[in-house]
Amino acid sequence: MKFYAPFCLPFILGAAAMFAAVGCKWLVWLLRLPRADKMLILRGLPTAATLRAAGEVVCESLLHRRIFRVNPVLGYMHMSLAFGWFLLIAVGWIETVAYLGFRYVPLQGHVFFKYFATGLPHKPFFDFAMDLLLLFVLSGVALAWAKRLRSKALGMRRTTKHVLGDRIALSALWFIFPARLVAESTTCALYGGGGFLTGTLGAWMHDRIGMMTLMSVESAAWWFYSSCLGLFFAAMPFSRYMHIFTEIPLIFLRRWRLRSGEKKKSYDHFQIEACSRCGICIDPCQLQSVLHVDDVQSVYFLRDRRYRMLRPEVADNCLMCGRCAAKCPVGIDLNALRLNSRDRLRNLPDKRRYAYLQDVDRSQGSGKTGYFAGCMTLLTPRILHAMEQVFAAAGDEVWWADREGGVCCGRPLKLSGETDAARKMMRYNTELFRKHGITTLVTSCPICLKVFREDYELRGIEVLHHSEYILRLLQAGRLSVGRSDSRFTYHDPCELGRGSGIYDQPRAVIEALGQLLEPAQTRENAPCCGSSVANTAISDGQQAAIARAVASELTATGADTIVTACPLCKKAIARGTAAEVRDLAEVVAAHIRK
Amino acid sequence: MAAINFGYTISRPRAIDVDRNNLRKSDEILREMPELQTCIGCGSCTAVCTAGNLTEFNFRKVHTLVRRGEYAGAYEEMNKCMLCGKCRLVCPRGINTRGVVMLIKHKLGDL
Repeated sequence: MKFYAPFCLPFILGAAAMFAAVGCKWLVWLLRLPRADKMLILRGLPTAATLRAAGEVVCESLLHRRIFRVNPVLGYMHMSLAFGWFLLIAVGWIETVAYLGFRYVPLQGHVFFKYFATGLPHKPFFDFAMDLLLLFVLSGVALAWAKRLRSKALGMRRTTKHVLGDRIALSALWFIFPARLVAESTTCALYGGGGFLTGTLGAWMHDRIGMMTLMSVESAAWWFYSSCLGLFFAAMPFSRYMHIFTEIPLIFLRRWRLRSGEKKKSYDHFQIEACSRCGICIDPCQLQSVLHVDDVQSVYFLRDRRYRMLRPEVADNCLMCGRCAAKCPVGIDLNALRLNSRDRLRNLPDKRRYAYLQDVDRSQGSGKTGYFAGCMTLLTPRILHAMEQVFAAAGDEVWWADREGGVCCGRPLKLSGETDAARKMMRYNTELFRKHGITTLVTSCPICLKVFREDYELRGIEVLHHSEYILRLLQAGRLSVGRSDSRFTYHDPCELGRGSGIYDQPRAVIEALGQLLEPAQTRENAPCCGSSVANTAISDGQQAAIARAVASELTATGADTIVTACPLCKKAIARGTAAEVRDLAEVVAAHIRK
Repeated sequence: MAAINFGYTISRPRAIDVDRNNLRKSDEILREMPELQTCIGCGSCTAVCTAGNLTEFNFRKVHTLVRRGEYAGAYEEMNKCMLCGKCRLVCPRGINTRGVVMLIKHKLGDL
């Protein structure tokens, strides 16, 4: 049996180009990994993490479980294309084995089996199964078409705007399966056989179209099908569809604990090219939903960075609130990537910078518990006074790091991309904490909290957000508060909630004071206040517009007081509403039982 | 007579000749950040400044000088800023002061 016809050529060339390009890319990225990352791979390889990664590949790359959680219709669309196509290939393979036994069949023999197998006796089971799978994939293609025409019908306010290369690959992909249907049906029309789909369509064609016409239609249809496949495969490594193969190594590398950091490295490529540009990150972005800025979202940022056309305006215009990352079906670490792009654009090492920090020490008091107000708390003195009352009521002796002015924690500068300069502030503060021998460090600013926990080397010092500290005092009976019939609502600060995973502690504290009412979008879905220090691009008016949108959701709960646990969020939200906005420490201080 | 310390000093008298200064960079900065022209010079930014609390760094002074074409030393001064963002929160004109710091550094960094 011969497994070659001229129409196979586009497919063979396209597939060869794809395998060569994908292989080259992976090899270069892996070889360029820093030594430490290579060691992580070697150490992770023989562990259970590898098995878990394999399980995750099945769940995510084939079944798309995470998309199902965001939106079931979108999940079905992605699953039918990925899992359906995978099954077509896998069952197709089994079909050739069933017909021919275990013998070598070239790749195009498997792919175009229906064309070559016309002389063999039919196996109705495979005819049926392959038609069923084709129908499964076609239903996904139909949904993809519908999504392009009306994204809202599939639960997406916005879908991605694609570049030309993506559009070519996308069109080729959309035509592959209808072309396969037509090609297989014409072959069935000429030689019989086929299942409920191709067989029925073939019989219908056989009755209506003349033999000579059918033969030329068959040849043209197979040529078209093969060309679509070839074009798609050739375009794949250079388009969004690179994600199909890249997500697999990404899952393994992530399970072996490779991470992106504040400096660019080779691992970033796996993350960037694993983005499928599905556009799920667009809808959660408040810059889109409130301000109608629609060219800066993670999908566009990753695209621009991948094709080396990233502009500072795009890299800078992000609140880094993490709402998109929480929804990303590929689990890409979007904030880390954006951060190391900013580092590349702006980091200027300057040895003399911040020389003035030497010998600065305005701290007061002595105690094993340190309190770091942070710049934003110094700008909201009511929070500082409330913390003074809390500490006094608990009888804790406190070392005040910066009550009379101090040095910034370094996170705002880090987020702007000047990572080396930010390290100087971090070193300064670390030495200050060590010098005064504290064992606990309390801060009321989640921005400081996050950088203390993630970037500072503070072994031996327990870092606590004031919500955690106050809850401990309450649970230990060291602080006694009276319950009132006030109704509170709580705004999750990005750096505290999604950033540091602290959702329950502030809620537990509030519930000790009165009734807690949850807003519509809360916890992992909570919106950003709009004044994030990570964004240096939007204007004051735009910040205020986001604050109003957030405040209206909070006031809609009918609460008397909006409570948050971040001085910056407090100031931002207060601009958007006439309602009372308080920090957690303030409401606690007001309820202390003397 | 011993000088009394009032807690402030008086700047030495000086004249800025805007006609003689090269305003190209200044114009570029104002074109990219036109809101800087709405500054009323109230000095709130400087009053709350974290870096200004520890040094002589004066954001109002530096950006005003830069706008007049006096660039000498401005980049080094701006490098004292910690970008903490307090100035932005207190500005009565809602100027994106952190953006101004970054823009001035970007424009004057390669002088």
